[in-house]
Amino acid sequence: MPLSAVASGLEAAPATATSATQALIASLGRPAPARTAFAEARFMHLLERPLVVSGELAWLGGNRLQRRVEHPDAETATIADGEVTVQRAGRPARRFSLQRAPQLQALLDSFAALLSGDAARLDRAFRIRRHGDAAHWTLVLVPHDAGVAGSVARIEIDGRGKRSRCMRMQEADGDLAVDLLGPLAARMPARPTREALLALCQDGP
Amino acid sequence: MSGRGRLLLLAGWLLVLAGLGLLVAQRLKVGTDLRSFMPAPATADQRLLMEQVGDGPGSRLLLLTIAARCAPRQHRATPGLFPATPCAPLPADRRDAALAGLSRGLVAALRHDRRYSQALNGSFDLAALDSALLPYRYLLSPTLDTQPLDEAYLADQLQQRLDDLSSPAAGLLKGLLPRDPTLEVLKLAERWAPPAAPEMRDGVWFSKRHEALLLVQTVAPGFDPDAQRQAIGGIRRAFHALPGSALAQLQFSGPGYFSVAAAAQTRHQADWIGRISSLGFIALLLLAYRSLGSLLLSALPIASAALAGIATLTLAFPQVHGITLAFGFTLLGVVQEYPIRVLSHRRAGEDALRSVRALWPSLLTAIASACIAYLAFYASGVNGLKQLAVFTIVGLLAAGLSTRYLLPRLLPARVHDVAELRWLALARDLVDRLPRPRWLPALVALAIVLMLILAPGPFWQNDLAALTPVPAPLLQRDARLREALGAPDVRYLLILQAPTAQGVLALSEQLQPRVDALVAGHAVDALELPSRYLPSAARQLARQRKLPGQAVLQRELQTALQGLPFRPGLFQPFLDDVRAARSLPPLTPQRYARTPLGQRLAAMLVQRDGHWLGLATVSGVHDVAALQALGAGSGGTVRLLDLKAASESLVAVYRTRILEALLAASVLLVLTITVALRSLRRTWHVLAPMTLATFLVLAVERMAGIEISLFHLVALILAGGLGLHYALFFERDTGDPAEQRRTLHATLVCVLSALLVFGMLGWASIPVLRAIGLTVSLGVAFHFCLSILMAPHAKPDHARQD
Repeated sequence: MPLSAVASGLEAAPATATSATQALIASLGRPAPARTAFAEARFMHLLERPLVVSGELAWLGGNRLQRRVEHPDAETATIADGEVTVQRAGRPARRFSLQRAPQLQALLDSFAALLSGDAARLDRAFRIRRHGDAAHWTLVLVPHDAGVAGSVARIEIDGRGKRSRCMRMQEADGDLAVDLLGPLAARMPARPTREALLALCQDGP
Repeated sequence: MSGRGRLLLLAGWLLVLAGLGLLVAQRLKVGTDLRSFMPAPATADQRLLMEQVGDGPGSRLLLLTIAARCAPRQHRATPGLFPATPCAPLPADRRDAALAGLSRGLVAALRHDRRYSQALNGSFDLAALDSALLPYRYLLSPTLDTQPLDEAYLADQLQQRLDDLSSPAAGLLKGLLPRDPTLEVLKLAERWAPPAAPEMRDGVWFSKRHEALLLVQTVAPGFDPDAQRQAIGGIRRAFHALPGSALAQLQFSGPGYFSVAAAAQTRHQADWIGRISSLGFIALLLLAYRSLGSLLLSALPIASAALAGIATLTLAFPQVHGITLAFGFTLLGVVQEYPIRVLSHRRAGEDALRSVRALWPSLLTAIASACIAYLAFYASGVNGLKQLAVFTIVGLLAAGLSTRYLLPRLLPARVHDVAELRWLALARDLVDRLPRPRWLPALVALAIVLMLILAPGPFWQNDLAALTPVPAPLLQRDARLREALGAPDVRYLLILQAPTAQGVLALSEQLQPRVDALVAGHAVDALELPSRYLPSAARQLARQRKLPGQAVLQRELQTALQGLPFRPGLFQPFLDDVRAARSLPPLTPQRYARTPLGQRLAAMLVQRDGHWLGLATVSGVHDVAALQALGAGSGGTVRLLDLKAASESLVAVYRTRILEALLAASVLLVLTITVALRSLRRTWHVLAPMTLATFLVLAVERMAGIEISLFHLVALILAGGLGLHYALFFERDTGDPAEQRRTLHATLVCVLSALLVFGMLGWASIPVLRAIGLTVSLGVAFHFCLSILMAPHAKPDHARQD
């Protein structure tokens, strides 16, 4: 092993997550573009019942992420070059800076890092805790950046083995977004509740 | 005079100079605002220009770029300087994020600084609209003009908001939704964004060359270099205080920056040229007179001239303009001749006082006539020129009188008489043998007329920009940034006039559809009217009347919300705001002025002479005629102000004043010289070569394609003053060959020293300095040659004659 690699490993050790967590994150990596089906339930204090959408999330490599919604209405959101573009059929595209959408920054940081298996990147953006074992695990990510932490309290990712199956974004104002990923996306209940989804993510088959 | 007496006199003189110096140091206030140097405006457009030059929104705008320098290196050969070789740049995404961070940091720092009325970088900030003014959004936004707040509209809007909440934009809108479900605030933000906003990256403006772009409006006027230097310095300091600023480079553009850069560059070049030519001048005088003591003493009349001139100015005027001092010191170049004449005319064994007495009539004629010439400047009525006249006249008198009455008493007794120099005798011989053809004046006059007729291009240079030159690369960069930022053109301004501020706003609203048509037709890229930031009170009241009452709105909202998952009571803040908006007094410019956007409006809405003016800024003009047509039929209440044309007409007025003054001066000069010499023939010998040489310089410069500016005129006047000396002294026939040799010596030293000082200036790259240098050098050469060739031959018993 080259000396520099040893040195950087030693330097990095105290600040980073444990080597088991690093190995877990590395094992999640897939080559770009990586796509996965998703179904999202958003529980908001503005609304009496959750909003449910489904479609496909794609990591296009680097800092580019695409969120394509197919149900109930088609909508494509793209994050690239620090800018977010939201496109809906029959409407002019809406563009805004990633800077103004900390939730999306957190989504990008976590999602891109997980799909590229980049433990170092994840570590730069979040304080990482891991529960469970290699078969049933949960990663809890708390943003380092105060601006992001002001709107995203934490992100929890549940997985089995080398697959993530759930992503829960807990916002600072109490709102919650639960994304079922991959095959689990098909099992989004018609009238989801927080409890039902949590059970599905952590204990479901 | 005894040794002790001399010492006392010298001490006294130095003491007076020190006193004057102290007075100047304490009282001198140098103004840099160009307006105080220009003539009083005569037309409405000129008056507006003088105000606009300092106060207009366009001239106070600074365009800023923040560009990545490069990644830090381990070896820094020259810290603080730009790296000479390109070094490894940061990766694109990290670079843009870093630059965007600096851009945001700089805006945050400047926003609370009283020296800047606006700092924009593209990031929209809801704080721009004061939260207490938020209910006004229904009166400011055009929504209600076409769309009532009814059930159908609300239902459509609420469905859209629901879609928004499931999109990634949810986080942005969540906080706004209960108060503003129709997003009026965002509509206003879009309305107030610059018409042609540059590319956005990481939430801020970026150019195509990967620079973050910012617009800063200073409170200080654009053409006051001192105030602008402070404003720019403040921005630099704020920037360097930001973490990570070492990796980026902040650059400026815009009128204010140009005035600072041009002043600094001109001063820098004038300084180093001045240092070199001063050394040459000292070497020349040492060579000519071989006496360090004489050299040092002969500096005293020049110092007296400068100090007495400035001291008088500080007593007579509250503030002295920088250009007055620059022009004044140029014109005082004439006084260096006085001590030179004295030194050259000294005879071996003769008291210096006696040499001066012999010389004095000619010198006095020169001084008196020069003073009379500058009196004409005083009569011009232009403040800057008045100061110039006072400065120069006092300077000439101080130098002349001290040369006559003080200097000779101090000069060392032992001298070497230049009349005994062999080369000088040969030179005088040569000069005497030169033919003096009688037809020469006619030939020169004919040549002048022909050259003036045949000369290419326009005669006068009226462009103010030529007075404050900006290097071409800076201008190109400015054009590029101006286009990228959609920043207003500094040349055109649409003026709306009405008796009241509300009248201007109403006029502005009337014009809006026609302006929209012009923009759609690509006659102009953008035209920003004042009503864009504040509708008239009448329009606000009309919108207010369209707001539904509380009960009606509640019912419509209730129906619109059916089947939608919004929490009950969520939109109470919306209902409250609409109720508040229904009873608000219309927003006035005065009330609005306390907000950041109101300051922007304040720059576009000004009160002048009992009426109100709206200044609408224009960017990217493609069809001037179409813009001018906006004013047709308005009875003068709407007109396009061409600042360039107005400023050129102002320069033309200014020049006319100078030319009139010069004409008067010429008449006075002829009278003075005739009276002094008591002979028309002698007057002709003095004034004919001087006049011909002056016009010859003009003709040659015109033939070379040079357009004549104010600076050329001032330089011609100086050269004329020098030429007067040459002609006066050559014409002076003492009948003594030794004295004639001394005259030639003095004139040669004067010509060489003038050529040295002004010839150096002629090589400068800055047009102002070049204009002065070239004109004076040519003038000195022509005056010298013509005054020799047109002087009468020396008396027959002293020189060969046919």
